[in-house]
Amino acid sequence: MASTRIAAKRTALLAGAIGLGLIATGCSGGSGSGGSDQTKGVTITVAWLNPPPPKAALAAFEKSSGITVKWADIDWDSLQTKIAAAATSNTYFADATDVDWSRVGQLGKLGWFYPMSKYLDVKSMAADMPQMSSFQADGTVYGIPFDSSYMVTTVNQAEFKKAGITSMPTTMDQYTADLQQVKAKGVSATPLNIPFAAAEGLSTYWYEATNAFGGTVLDAKGQPQFTSPSSGGYKAAAWMVNAIKSGLVPAGNINVTDSQGMQNLMAKGVVASTFSDYSGNVGSLYDVPSSSSVVHDVAYIPTPGPTGTVPNLGNPDGIGIPKTAKYPKAAAEFIKWITSTQNQAAFAGADGAAKVMPNYPTPSRLSAMKLLTASGKLAQGQELTTLLSGAKPVFASGAPTWYPQFSRAVSTNLHAAAVGSMSVQQAISAIASTAKSLASGS
Amino acid sequence: MSADVRAAAPTRRPPRTSPDRRTGRRPRFDVLPYALVAPLAIFIIGLALFPAAVTLVDAFFKVQPLNPPDGFIGLGNFVRMFQDDSIVSSMVNTAYYVVIGVVLSTVLGVLFAVTLQQRFRGRSVLIAVLILPWALPGVVEGIVWSGIWDSNTGLLNSVLTSLHVISHYQVFLGQNRLVTVLVIELVQVWQITPLSTLLVLAALQNIPGDLYEAAELDGAGAWKTFTRITVPLARPGIAIAMVQAVIATLNVFDQPYVLNGAASTGASVMEQTYFVSFQNLDFGEGYALSLLITVVTILVSLAIVRIVYRAVEL
Repeated sequence: MASTRIAAKRTALLAGAIGLGLIATGCSGGSGSGGSDQTKGVTITVAWLNPPPPKAALAAFEKSSGITVKWADIDWDSLQTKIAAAATSNTYFADATDVDWSRVGQLGKLGWFYPMSKYLDVKSMAADMPQMSSFQADGTVYGIPFDSSYMVTTVNQAEFKKAGITSMPTTMDQYTADLQQVKAKGVSATPLNIPFAAAEGLSTYWYEATNAFGGTVLDAKGQPQFTSPSSGGYKAAAWMVNAIKSGLVPAGNINVTDSQGMQNLMAKGVVASTFSDYSGNVGSLYDVPSSSSVVHDVAYIPTPGPTGTVPNLGNPDGIGIPKTAKYPKAAAEFIKWITSTQNQAAFAGADGAAKVMPNYPTPSRLSAMKLLTASGKLAQGQELTTLLSGAKPVFASGAPTWYPQFSRAVSTNLHAAAVGSMSVQQAISAIASTAKSLASGS
Repeated sequence: MSADVRAAAPTRRPPRTSPDRRTGRRPRFDVLPYALVAPLAIFIIGLALFPAAVTLVDAFFKVQPLNPPDGFIGLGNFVRMFQDDSIVSSMVNTAYYVVIGVVLSTVLGVLFAVTLQQRFRGRSVLIAVLILPWALPGVVEGIVWSGIWDSNTGLLNSVLTSLHVISHYQVFLGQNRLVTVLVIELVQVWQITPLSTLLVLAALQNIPGDLYEAAELDGAGAWKTFTRITVPLARPGIAIAMVQAVIATLNVFDQPYVLNGAASTGASVMEQTYFVSFQNLDFGEGYALSLLITVVTILVSLAIVRIVYRAVEL
C-alpha cells in the first residue's frame, strides 16, 4: 500500500515537473536573436495566405536545395496579427511570410523584416517586377512581389454594346456617360459596381478613382492632397457617393465588400462594370461557366483618366523574411525559387492544371506573364501584361507608417457619406483631418 | 399550491485542518493533491494570469513600437480612449449588443429548455442539432448569415419579396445603427442560445417531479407552474446562462467584423481593440481597452449574479 502511495506521489511530482517544463518551453518562445545562414538540411516554415504549391514542385525544390518546407496556410487578418505578435515578443513563427504593401511603412520603421537586398539581387529582380516599388520604404525593399494583383477596370462589353456603346471609354467623363446610357437603355438598372462596406476594398477603390481623376492621395510628407473640390480625391469621392445615390450602383452595395460579394454581381451580370476590379478575375471567375453568366463578355480596359487612360495602381502581395526567422538565408532561397519566372508561369497554369498553385492569381514577373500569355492559358493575357508593365504604387514614397489608421478613416467616412449620415465635404474633411493629425505625429 | 422555494442558508464551510483530537498532532501535509493540480495551475498562471497582470500594468504605460520610447503615462491611454469618437461609438454599440444579446438568449434559452424538458420522440437528436451553432466559429457564422442578410442577393430579401411582404430589396446592414446592431446581434444570439439552453436545462433537470405533481393536484395551471416553480428553481442556471451571454456579447468581434466591417453603425469595442493594437500598433491603448472590457465584464457579471442568482435547496 505504502509503495503504491509513493509511486502515486512520484507520478504526481513527475507530472508537475513536466508541466513546469512545458510552461518554461512555451514561455521562452523562440530565437529572435538573429538566424542561421545554414541552407542545407534545415526546415523552414512558410506562413502564407493560400494553400501550398503542388507537392511535386515543392518536393523538387526540397530535393535540389536540401531545405524542407513546412507550409502554414493562414488567412490575411490572422497572419498580420501573428506577424505583429511574433515581432513584438521577439518570437519565431515563420521564416518567410506575407509583406503587405500597405504595411511596408510600419515594417520598415519597426525593422521587423530583413531588407531583401541582404539576400537577393533586388535590382535585377525589379527590372522584371514592376511592382517592386510597392514594397519599398525609405529606399529599402522589404518584400518581393509574390503576385501581380493590381486594380483594373473591367467592363461587360456585351451589355455596353447592347446599350449602343461601341468604343470603350478612355476618360472618366465618357465612362460615366456610358454607364448612364447603359442604365437609361434598361440594359442594367445598376451598371456600376462599388463595394461600399467600410473595409479596405473601399479605400483602394477610392485611391484608384483618385488616380483616374488625375489626383494623388498623399504627398511625400503624408499631407492630404484631396481637400480642394477641384482635386482628384475630392472628385473621386463625390463621383462614388453620387453613383450610389443616383442609382448607378446597387443600393445593396452599401454593405458589399470587394471580395466575393462584389465580384459575384459582375459574374451574374447584375452590374456592367467594376471600375476597380482585381486583375485576373476575367480568367478565374467571369469566364468560368460554373460560376458566371457573362462568360467571354467581360474585358479589361485601360483605366479611364481625366483626359485619356492612366496607369493602374498596384495592390500586390509580397513575401519577405521576418527578423525572427531561424533560417533567413534558406528562406531567401525559397523566395528566389517561388518567384522565379518558370514557377510563377507554372503556378498560374502555363504548364497545365497539375502544376497550378491553388488561388495563385497572376505572376509578378513580366517574363512569367509573357510565358503564360504565350501558353494561351491566361484570358486577355496581352492586355494584362501591358497594364502590369505600367502599374504604379498607391503611394510613390511608400505607404506611411500610419496607413492602417488612414485607410480606416477613408473607408468609414466614405461609407458614412454613401449612407447619407454625412456629406462628401464632411467625409473628405474628416479623412484629411486624420491624415494631418497622423502625419504630424499626434 | 405553493412550492417550498427559499433561499438557502450559506453553505457550511468545510472544517479547517485541525489537530487530531486523540493524538493532538496535526495531520501530515499531503503533497499529492498539490502536485496533481500543479501542471494545470502553472498553465493557468502562465497563460492567463501572467498575461492578465502584464495587461493590467501596461494599460498605464505608453507602449507604441512606432513611437518610442515607452514609459509610464498614468491614465493617458484611458483619456485618449474616451476622446476617440470611434471608440466611444463602439462602446454604445457594445452596450446595445449586451442588452439585446443577454435578453434574447436568456428568454430563448429558458423557452427552449422548458420545451426540451418534456419527453418526446427525437428529443436527443434535437438537442444534438441545437448545439451546432454554438460549435461553429463566429467567422463562419458571419459568412453564412451574410448570405441571409445580403441586400443584393440575400435569402431574407428573396423570401420576403416572394411573399410580397416587401416590394423591393431592403438594406439591413450599415444604414441604421439600431437595425444594424440588432441584425448582427441576432447572429450572435443564434450562436450563444444553445449554451444558455443547456445550462438552464441542466438546472431544470434538478427540479423534483413531485413538485410539479403537487402543483397539478393543487390546480395550478401551466403559467403558474412555470412562474412559481420552474423559474425560481432554475435561477442558478439562468444566472450562469446570463453571465456567459454577458461575456460573449461584451467580447463580440467576429460577427460585426464580418457583417459590417469597421463601420460606426456596428463596430464593437473588441473590434476597436484589434484595430488599436494590431493595426495602429498602439499596444498601451489596446491594453487599456482590454482592461476596460475585463472590468466591465466582471462588474456586470457580479450584478447579474447578485440580482438573479439564488441558491436553492431541494
